[in-house]
Amino acid sequence: MNYFKTLGLTAALLMGTSGMAFAQAKTIAGGSEVDMVLLPKFLGILVFDQANEGAQEAHAELANPGDLLFQGPTPENSVAGQIEIVTTAATNGVGAVMISNNAGDQITPAAEAAQAAGAKVVTWDSPIPSGAGEDIFVAQVDFGSIGVVMADMALSITGGSGQFAVLSATPDAANQNAWIEAMKAALAADAKYAGLELVDVVYGDDQAEVSYNRALALVDSYPDLKLIMAPTTVGIQAAAKAMQDEGLCDTVKTSGLGLPSEMVSYTLNGCAPEFALWDFRDLGYLTYYTAYGLATGQLTGEIGETFTAGRMGDFTVEADPGREGAKRILMGPFTVYNAENVEAAAK
Amino acid sequence: MGWIDRISPQTLRILALLAVLALTVLFFASQIENYFNARLFNRVSSSVAIMALIACAQTLVILTRNIDLSIGSVVGFTAFATGSLVTNNPEINPLLLAAYAMVVGAGFGVVNGLLVAYARVPSIIVTLATMAIFRSLLVEYSDAKSITSDALPKWLVDFPNVPLFTIAGVELRAAFVTSLIIVLAVHIALSRLRPARKLFAVGSNPEAAEMAGINQKAVIFAAFVAAGALAGLGGFMFLARFGNITVVAGLGFELKSVAAAVVGGVAINGGSGSVIGALIGAILVDMIDTSLVRWELVSEFWREAVLGLLILTAVAVDAILMRRLIALRVRREKARKEAAK
Repeated sequence: MNYFKTLGLTAALLMGTSGMAFAQAKTIAGGSEVDMVLLPKFLGILVFDQANEGAQEAHAELANPGDLLFQGPTPENSVAGQIEIVTTAATNGVGAVMISNNAGDQITPAAEAAQAAGAKVVTWDSPIPSGAGEDIFVAQVDFGSIGVVMADMALSITGGSGQFAVLSATPDAANQNAWIEAMKAALAADAKYAGLELVDVVYGDDQAEVSYNRALALVDSYPDLKLIMAPTTVGIQAAAKAMQDEGLCDTVKTSGLGLPSEMVSYTLNGCAPEFALWDFRDLGYLTYYTAYGLATGQLTGEIGETFTAGRMGDFTVEADPGREGAKRILMGPFTVYNAENVEAAAK
Repeated sequence: MGWIDRISPQTLRILALLAVLALTVLFFASQIENYFNARLFNRVSSSVAIMALIACAQTLVILTRNIDLSIGSVVGFTAFATGSLVTNNPEINPLLLAAYAMVVGAGFGVVNGLLVAYARVPSIIVTLATMAIFRSLLVEYSDAKSITSDALPKWLVDFPNVPLFTIAGVELRAAFVTSLIIVLAVHIALSRLRPARKLFAVGSNPEAAEMAGINQKAVIFAAFVAAGALAGLGGFMFLARFGNITVVAGLGFELKSVAAAVVGGVAINGGSGSVIGALIGAILVDMIDTSLVRWELVSEFWREAVLGLLILTAVAVDAILMRRLIALRVRREKARKEAAK
């Protein structure tokens, strides 16, 4: 397990530094007609729209005469809506479905039906936990390394020791749960984190009002709390706002995964001194290249296969260290934002 | 005649609710450390400031034997639209901004009202559909952008938390006081004003109301529009408190508002109930919700189920208390008549 994680990190580093290291990288040729569907967790969230922009960019670049549809459920209907869209896409005979899965393993029957109908199922952002019904997962960053980054931010913000709590999205979000587990593993693996105590994990359902109230409940329950770690763009913002409103920013800091444009004021006033994220445009772009390659038969999706994803360089299919039997493509890296770089990134 | 024969059933109901509220606080105080303090009041009152308005709006509709499931979407949309307006016009007058929120909310109420009162489609179907439609309109209108608190003027963001009075750490904050005033105003209107009394008439016996010359359709229509306006104001308060508005704003408020109203003793079949009851219902539901998060015995996955169970218990205890009291009264009445013979 640890060996694989190191392997993943090394691979990510290699890709970051020398795009040409993999000699026999396949070039994806454009021009073939494939209808494709990009399916976010639900509509109306900025990061998913950014992923769509990236996918549209790749769609134009590869001159696919088919359609790229950005279809998603409405927020109140996320799980059922995702299943319905995958089912409809299969019936309509699309070549590829790209899913940021919000339905846990419940999506599997619909995804398998889509595969049986000839579509490639590529997950991005959030995978199918069991891997069943999925051809490949385009991972934004190594899930294990997110755990390490969150643990490191907790370490630097708390000054090395103290209580902290996690404010997550929904209790069944596959990506957040994996990140929290990875963070727990990172905390246990290294003695330098020994002073940190994770006291609770609560869920704000990715709604501002629920997250805000949960953040306050954490402060009330744990008088010595020093930090709230929110691995979700909605949660981190709500927690920072709650601490600011109650005048608690001096004692309780906020950190996690956030969008620079939404977090800039909290980072500058010290409520959220440090947080991290990756580029969702790139994620959409890479996902499109992967799905297009698979759907046109140019890629087989076998472990070890290497291809060039346009402007982003070369990527290799590998075993997913977090999910046995599943495959992934690792994008990376991510950026840690603080008072020095957040303003530039927010523009 | 003892006190029990003189107090109105409405007042009895509110007393029973307050007793349930006190029992709930005692229960959680025995379970959770550092529970019963000024912070608890500040937390619950700040949070209830929004739900009180929405439960009050829901009550107006339920009184006429209808239901408004679109109310959460209306709150979300108005919060976003109001945020969008003030982001682009930071100099706008605060009262004008609140009025804008109410007009937008009332606009949605007009749609619901027309369909329910004049097209005669059952309200549960109309509002189930408009819940999804209004939410989709918000998704479309927002264009995947969100409102962020740093784009809002300072007065708006600061307003909900301004303490008007502070006694021993207990703060009466502006948002809560505003909501209280509005709920009281609606209560006085419902109990004193003739046009508002028509809501009860239509809800308790539509045929009789029609015979009495009450224009049923107009009353139901007005109830939906008023509820929309109140929900719009709820959206304004939501914007002020949370600042960060995405397309999921207000999701689930429809059920919470129905729960608050029903727990607060508003009859789901219309015709009886009060907004004061709904306010206490909102406080009870919010307090159970906040306290459950802090109660270590209940895991995240069971919280919703336990919340449901506690709401059912609260309603049952309230119903049993009321039934007992009414039975007691009837017995006393009979006994008095016997004695008079």
